Amino acid sequence: MSDSNLQGADVLKEVSSQKRKSKLLERNRDPWRRVKVSIGVIVAILFIFPIIWMLFVSIKPNGFSTTNPIEWFTPPFTLANYIDIFMNSLILRWLFNSLIVALITTVLTLIITSLAAFAISQMKFRYKNFIFVFFLLGLMIPGEATIIPLYEIVKSFNMIDSYAGLILPMIASPLGVIILKSFFDGVPKEVIESAIMDGCSYFKLFYKIVLPLAKPAMAAIAIFTFIGSWNNFLWPYLSILSENLYTLPVGLPVFNSTYSQAYVQPMTANAIASIPVIIAFFMFEKQIVKGISFTGIKG
Amino acid sequence: MNKKLWAHDFKAIPFLLPFFVAYVIFTILPIFKGLEMSLYDWTLVRKLDFVGLANYKEMFIDPHFWRTLWNTTLFVILTTPTMVLLALGLALLANMNTKLQTFFRGSFFLPSILSVAVISFLAIFMLQPYSGLINTVLHTIGIEAEPFWMADKTLAWVSIVVVTLWWTVGFNMVLFLAGLQDIPESLYEASEIDGATRWKQFRHITLPQLMPIGRVVLLLQILGSYKVFAQILLITGGGPGGATRPLIQYIYEVGFTQNNLGYAATMSYALFFILLILSIIQLRNQRMGES
Repeated sequence: MSDSNLQGADVLKEVSSQKRKSKLLERNRDPWRRVKVSIGVIVAILFIFPIIWMLFVSIKPNGFSTTNPIEWFTPPFTLANYIDIFMNSLILRWLFNSLIVALITTVLTLIITSLAAFAISQMKFRYKNFIFVFFLLGLMIPGEATIIPLYEIVKSFNMIDSYAGLILPMIASPLGVIILKSFFDGVPKEVIESAIMDGCSYFKLFYKIVLPLAKPAMAAIAIFTFIGSWNNFLWPYLSILSENLYTLPVGLPVFNSTYSQAYVQPMTANAIASIPVIIAFFMFEKQIVKGISFTGIKG
Repeated sequence: MNKKLWAHDFKAIPFLLPFFVAYVIFTILPIFKGLEMSLYDWTLVRKLDFVGLANYKEMFIDPHFWRTLWNTTLFVILTTPTMVLLALGLALLANMNTKLQTFFRGSFFLPSILSVAVISFLAIFMLQPYSGLINTVLHTIGIEAEPFWMADKTLAWVSIVVVTLWWTVGFNMVLFLAGLQDIPESLYEASEIDGATRWKQFRHITLPQLMPIGRVVLLLQILGSYKVFAQILLITGGGPGGATRPLIQYIYEVGFTQNNLGYAATMSYALFFILLILSIIQLRNQRMGES
């Protein structure tokens, strides 16, 4: 009897606590929620509007220029601008340059930073701490402020106006070493020890065991190096002289000013430069967002 | 023992060497090379006479140096608070539990991955008088004035700041978003039982919990804003009348247009020390945040 009473009381308690919970949820429902969501929608549209505008104007007929914004989003549409620009400008060449430079920069950065990070994380050698601190110093050296002497150094190697000059100065990323080192430090000791017991060489250990485990960190560094290189402006602007070797960010402004009277051609050129990154963004959005909080905070 | 250590050193060399060489040549060496250059008359073609501290003396009395350093500092002052507040606001919007969450995050972040050439070009065409999008909208809502965005000092600054916010706020938003997601849900639940209002929760839980990441965002922003160059060059060219010209642009012009790399390297040192101090503060701050 008393037992069942107790049970009843428990059930009641349960119900009332659930009621309280739902009441809490009720109150949790923010009265301003709708306002906030609406603000979010408006701001989001403002943010992407110029990009959408660019894409629409790029498919308007040649010579199109009007002050009525509605006409930008209504037919006629055509792909003629894209064909015209691909045929009559260096933009494909610049796309190729940007792609090649970004790819090679990314691969070389990954190779040299992961090798160095492995040595510092897993190997024994003299002056190890000193070398690590020496690499850490790089975090404090702003590339923008040493760009004039960098120009002289690259010039003394005869690498001004070359792919090598675009790529090599950008590959030694101290941040990459630090991120990868902390990642390699997290590889379980037993795994490493048993591999060494089995007579595994350091290189094999690096290549077969540690590197596969570090894929997420490698991916984050790869994405950021690639985007960084793709959008880099100052260094290519200084070090490249011939139009054939321009990367997109350096080539586009020239393009924009030569067509300054017209709307549509430069808009198309900018769309061509943006579409690959926009696609890449939608493919890698999650990794990019994760990567920022990963590299940004832990850096 | 010594032999064994040697063997270890030997094994480590191939792993360390590629990074070490690239790092020393392209990151460390420029600091010393810059020091050398600043003590010489140095043209794009070759090194000329040793001039001692003459370049430094010139820098201290060069009105263009001070003007462009001030312009850069003004840009830092204008962008930093607006950027931090906007990033926080957007992060709060993007953190709402709604079906539109992905849309919000994607839209706020998308401009950040576009090239500076693209965003500058879009800005120019939106801000053009007579045919630009902004002025057309202004006319449609009944404002008859025809603002010349690039020709007026104040309007040029407004344009540059707004474009920069639009272009780069997404990155800062993501940092705040990560911070928001790290706040334990239990804090909100507990405060709800105590009957805290949303506003009180925001003031007493969200804001204090975001302080560490807020400091990181703030310092990264100051550091980043001091390096401003490309969007100003491409949007206003430093005009009107040099009113928006930043220090890096002046360094570039002295070096590559006026053919005076020695003096350009000297002014780079001024920027170097500003950025170095900010980096040291930033790194210390981050380490504090982690421990």
